[in-house]
Amino acid sequence: MVANEYDAVIVGAGGDGPVAAWKLAEAGLSVLVLEAGPFHGNEQWPNPHEDSGGEASSSVEDLSGELLDEQFTTREFEMVNKLVFGPADHERGFYFRKFPGDGAILQCSGVGGTTLHYTGNHPRAYPASIDEQGHWPIDYADLVPYYQEIEEMCEVAPAPVTAKEELFFQGADAAGWDLLDVKNVTEPGYRPQPNAIKQPDEKLHVDGDYDGDFTYPEVEGDTLALGNIAGNPHPRGAPFEEKAKRASNVSFVPPALRTGNVTIRPNAFVTDIETDTWFGDDPSATGVEFRDTWSGETESVDAEVVVLAAGAIETPRLWKNADLPENDWVGSGMTIHFGDNVMGLFDGDDLAGRLGKATVDQHQGQDIAARFDYPGIGMLQTVGTTPGLGAILGFGASASGFTFQNDTADAPWDTMGRLAGGRLKELLSGYRRMLQLLVVSDDRPHERNGVTVVPGVSDENGSIPLVNYEPSEGDQQRRDRLAEIGAEILREAGASHVHRSDSPPTALHVQSTMRMGKVVDTACEAYDVDRLFVADHSALANSVGGVNPTNTGQALAARTAEKIVERYF
Amino acid sequence: MVERDVPRRSVLRGVAAGGGVVAVSGSASASGSSLTFETHTEITFRAVVDAVLPETPELAEPLGAEHVPGGLAVGLDEFLITYANDLFTFGLPYIGEVGNIPIAGPVAAVLDLAAKELLDRGDNEDDPSVDRPLALLEADDTSAWVVRFAAGTFSKLSRRDRLRAIGLLDGYELELSPVSGFLFEADAGLVGQLVVGFAEVIYYSEWQGYDEFTQPPSQRAHPNDPDAVQSWRQTGYPGFADGYAALRGYVDKPDSPLGGGDVWKDLDGDVRIARDSGQFRENDYDTSGYEEPYPEGA
Repeated sequence: MVANEYDAVIVGAGGDGPVAAWKLAEAGLSVLVLEAGPFHGNEQWPNPHEDSGGEASSSVEDLSGELLDEQFTTREFEMVNKLVFGPADHERGFYFRKFPGDGAILQCSGVGGTTLHYTGNHPRAYPASIDEQGHWPIDYADLVPYYQEIEEMCEVAPAPVTAKEELFFQGADAAGWDLLDVKNVTEPGYRPQPNAIKQPDEKLHVDGDYDGDFTYPEVEGDTLALGNIAGNPHPRGAPFEEKAKRASNVSFVPPALRTGNVTIRPNAFVTDIETDTWFGDDPSATGVEFRDTWSGETESVDAEVVVLAAGAIETPRLWKNADLPENDWVGSGMTIHFGDNVMGLFDGDDLAGRLGKATVDQHQGQDIAARFDYPGIGMLQTVGTTPGLGAILGFGASASGFTFQNDTADAPWDTMGRLAGGRLKELLSGYRRMLQLLVVSDDRPHERNGVTVVPGVSDENGSIPLVNYEPSEGDQQRRDRLAEIGAEILREAGASHVHRSDSPPTALHVQSTMRMGKVVDTACEAYDVDRLFVADHSALANSVGGVNPTNTGQALAARTAEKIVERYF
Repeated sequence: MVERDVPRRSVLRGVAAGGGVVAVSGSASASGSSLTFETHTEITFRAVVDAVLPETPELAEPLGAEHVPGGLAVGLDEFLITYANDLFTFGLPYIGEVGNIPIAGPVAAVLDLAAKELLDRGDNEDDPSVDRPLALLEADDTSAWVVRFAAGTFSKLSRRDRLRAIGLLDGYELELSPVSGFLFEADAGLVGQLVVGFAEVIYYSEWQGYDEFTQPPSQRAHPNDPDAVQSWRQTGYPGFADGYAALRGYVDKPDSPLGGGDVWKDLDGDVRIARDSGQFRENDYDTSGYEEPYPEGA
């Protein structure tokens, strides 16, 4: 049952909210987490997309690996539809938000949030992005102890090598880059991903003779079959907490519930923040109002502190819809790691010489397991996808039209642009001989980019987020440089055809819309509203160098939870 | 800033209709037809799928007969309409799918307006022809005279001109809130995303293998077999798996803690793949020499 009052209410059980919940509960606070989406793998909701199910979950005994196995089918189209941001009811569509051009926002709902889709990548920020770019009011050194704590909880370790990673390492090495083996990266080079995925069972080595069905407990840890973008239930048969990928539902929700101080209520969309204003003072947060996404009924709950962890789109949207004090930086300064795709197609004979087999087989291994780092510019990462997601990520969208409209005679790639028609079918017939690189740039916070709302353009939860993004010249240059480096690595690895998407702005990583130093102070408490904290990626002061932001978001959320206890309890 | 334009506003009108009746004045009335909206939408979506995922007899010789059929052979056009109409919700929770915004019709209308724009600019490579939509229908689908009336401009373009028309939509800009002076880029790009990006992801995903995707998730069954999914036979994707014995080891180099155990493979005499995993180093770091490779505002 959900009570009327808690020490802390956390808005959102995404990548970061459960971290804050765990830390606050460990300190003895009573915590309610309100999540807009469903709770997968929980016995209170055996069919979370079909029935409204129970009200809330407060016990680790509710968690069920068996239900995760059932609900996380790894079928890509079905899982995208289950996880992308919308109400739990499968009959209803996604929540609408506006985004520039033909780009898209990848945002998930449900306990675990977008870490349900994430590929387990858990690197730290580049130290220079915190200490040298002039955006952060705290030092990288302040974050390091929290990184260490998060990495231990998430079992972060070097990702394993399968054929596609070996091919990438061959190319990066031949292109003259160094292999990095450090956590705090200050020089360019390549390395295995620091992944929050339990390492694979050694019996899965290619030289072994494993011929089982990859189920727990015969096999423990990752089973090298992609599946992370689709939630990842592997290994099949494992208890909830033994699932390989340490998404926040697996890594932080169980210890949070185990404290006995945390209640998680899914299917609860927070639509308002309640405040009291004492004479002459800033307003103070006193609770929230939320809407049950199945019944439409509105309820409210009181709290000593309110923690916003709804993500970098919904957190500023909620602020604006709650009619809190105006602050020009609420919603502004959004970074999305302005990204791109560079794909290499290889001939079977060349692959046989390099890999001992005529295919790359991107459907094997972890989704994203190898990376190239370049502080000041961003990163590249190998990405294995199932064919549908590969088609849309690599070929379905472009800012420069279709391939037949672009002249690439002097470019480092053979084709550029959106692919459709016979050429698409021809290229995708080589799916098993492809290696895709995701280009992720260190884009900078610009005031024009971000989230706004316009009264009247609304859905049932209030004015919808209107998301604007236009990269600067510097952002474009960083992305171009990374695409060139990626093309060179693919050529050195033997690619016979290189394709660049020139993707439109697409937000896989979204951050810095409630920036520390602009909207929140160094403890992540709002300057303009007391007892209102932000514990998600929106509090990041920049794009942390263009590296995957989950580790930094979680480290900062852990730190914020400690600051909350220090200030108010 | 591109001027405000009819296609964009038409999309927004569809989107902003908020689950009510979507009024589309663009297509059917513009062509002088009193025929059903659905017929026009169906023909347009067939033309979309025929351009984005066409039948490709030219691939039979180099790649094999399995590479010939396209999206129309598996009914992608019909599903794309269903999917578009269920894509977004604005409605009230207790009315379920009725609260979704049907956008397939507005999308088809926008595609016609984009096609007309292409023709107005003279950027088409081939002359439009009503023979094209006629050729997209099976003989027993609809009588030819209905198609002649209902087919919009988009469906009359050649395949490549259809793609060019879709491409025009990416360039449209919108001023949503002129009063505040704040500009928002929006939304005609959504049409391109839907008819190209979504068409591709659906076609190459497992979608075709379901008896009926719109069933509740717990009642959906999928055979997970390339025999049931045409696109899997075209990509060589074997279906979803619970695991692969594909581990080679961990990348490593001398004096590094990254790997351990025996060397499984030398990559260049320095970098190698080790049998066992190690860990990353918790290193000291010094950022004092950092220089911006591409300074902002430079």
